Amino acid sequence: MRGFRAFLAKELREILRTWRIWVLPGIVLFFALSGPPLAKFTPELLGTFVNSEQTGMVIQLPDPTYVDAYLQWTKNLQQLVLFAVIIMFGGIVSAEKRAGTTALVLTKPLSRTAFVLAKYVSQALLLIASVVVGALLTWGLTYAIFAEAPVAPLVQATGSWLALGLMFLALMELFSSAMDSQAGAAGLGFLGFIAIGIATLWAPAVEYSPAGLLGAPTALVIGESVALGWPVGSTLALTTLLVATAVLVFRRREL
Amino acid sequence: MTAAIEITGLTKVYGEKRALDGVDLEVPVGSVFGFLGPNGAGKTTTLRILTGLAHATDGTARVFGRDVVTATNDVRSDIGFLPDVPGYYEWMTAPEFLRFAGSLFGLGGSVLEERVKALLDLAGLAGVTTKVGGYSRGMKQRLGVAQALVNAPKLLMLDEPTSALDPIGRKEVLDMIASLGGRTTVFFSTHILSDVERVCDQVAILHEGRVVTQAPIAELKARYATSRIVVGVTGDADAFAERLAGEQWASDVARKENGFLEITVADLDLARRAVPALVADAGAGLTRFETGEVSLEDVFVELVGGGR
Repeated sequence: MRGFRAFLAKELREILRTWRIWVLPGIVLFFALSGPPLAKFTPELLGTFVNSEQTGMVIQLPDPTYVDAYLQWTKNLQQLVLFAVIIMFGGIVSAEKRAGTTALVLTKPLSRTAFVLAKYVSQALLLIASVVVGALLTWGLTYAIFAEAPVAPLVQATGSWLALGLMFLALMELFSSAMDSQAGAAGLGFLGFIAIGIATLWAPAVEYSPAGLLGAPTALVIGESVALGWPVGSTLALTTLLVATAVLVFRRREL
Repeated sequence: MTAAIEITGLTKVYGEKRALDGVDLEVPVGSVFGFLGPNGAGKTTTLRILTGLAHATDGTARVFGRDVVTATNDVRSDIGFLPDVPGYYEWMTAPEFLRFAGSLFGLGGSVLEERVKALLDLAGLAGVTTKVGGYSRGMKQRLGVAQALVNAPKLLMLDEPTSALDPIGRKEVLDMIASLGGRTTVFFSTHILSDVERVCDQVAILHEGRVVTQAPIAELKARYATSRIVVGVTGDADAFAERLAGEQWASDVARKENGFLEITVADLDLARRAVPALVADAGAGLTRFETGEVSLEDVFVELVGGGR
């Protein structure tokens, strides 16, 4: 895997010195910072708008707790952050081909395997770092606002989502290795998301496949018992398979 | 001695189109080799196969005796390549890009720093601190040649390095290429004839996916050597043209728009002696007598066809 370290170093510097450092971390941190205050004040805001002496309508809302703050976090991860991953990484490989940089770097002793793997590792590090920092902020703000913030459910929920997020990153790398269009790859990514959503309707898929991770963060936060072994194991296996397939596809392509 | 590039029966088919149709080519070590052809002849396709960016449909391509398909990293360690439209990481500066390019060859430390400094000087980019995204086309091409040299390659391959440059940018890049003569083998694709005449010692002409000729430039000119003489006479030029057409050494006589006669001759020395004598014999006066040698452009037009 010649050239892996040098290319990985380039990828990491590129993240730090371009728009990449702002987009995904910015989205994740925005949700981390806004989740706990929204959980705290949403019932009050709803009460202000809905309860009215003129209409005589009164809705009783329970006092918010740390669970509501954690649910804000997991809900955003499961939908908006996953969508950001699909859109942003639709060009993870193809963007370099379109820019013409592959013709410069892949005619040097940098293997195509190293090229694809370095891209996956660097973007996985960005995703992991963004989500871990977001989870820490969520925990800190939740504790500051609600004076209660147990660590275990947040860690389990965030960890199970990260496994799914890394699988979607691998899926996007495969699509981006196979086609030049970022929009086309993102479209296929959304189809993958919908397919997993449909699979959650079938109990064996939830028990044994990555589909089980789609609803797991929410279930973990509200205290339901979730068997994560098979879903996490099958997700990691599928992630490895997707990255390996991306390497094989990219090695066969003309650039 | 093993050739720097040895191509045999190279064929590349895209759907219905044969981009390369059995190309045979041999580039001697140490030459500055011009790979000449009109747009769409297959030059870029050949270079893309040689560098591993594209796969041949049939045939073989070897660089220093090694197959470009099976010995990819070994081949790439020995070559430097500049594509026709080089793409850069625009957030990098030139020194950063050269260091990154060097690191892909496993270079580092003082060796890499010295090489980067020398290449920046060679490219005229020393002291330029702006990011590559703000460079002019000429600066990008010069940086492209510099990055292709970072590994001190045994073979430098350049795809149309001057085609989109203004005259000054062209001169700068050609000067860089010319300065490499004798130090490394240069394989240089272009459709600009004057560039080849200026820096190359060998040439191959590619047309519609086939190599129509390959030779040292001097030999090629000699092979197609038909000198021309432009003659102006007083009096009846048409009658004089008829008289010239009867001479054995004159293979063609054409009347130019300005009244002069252009004579294609096989033996220039004989023509130089015979024309003044014929003019005197016709009782006319000689107003113009100009000889010219065959140019690469003449050879190119003859081989590729002027009717394109």
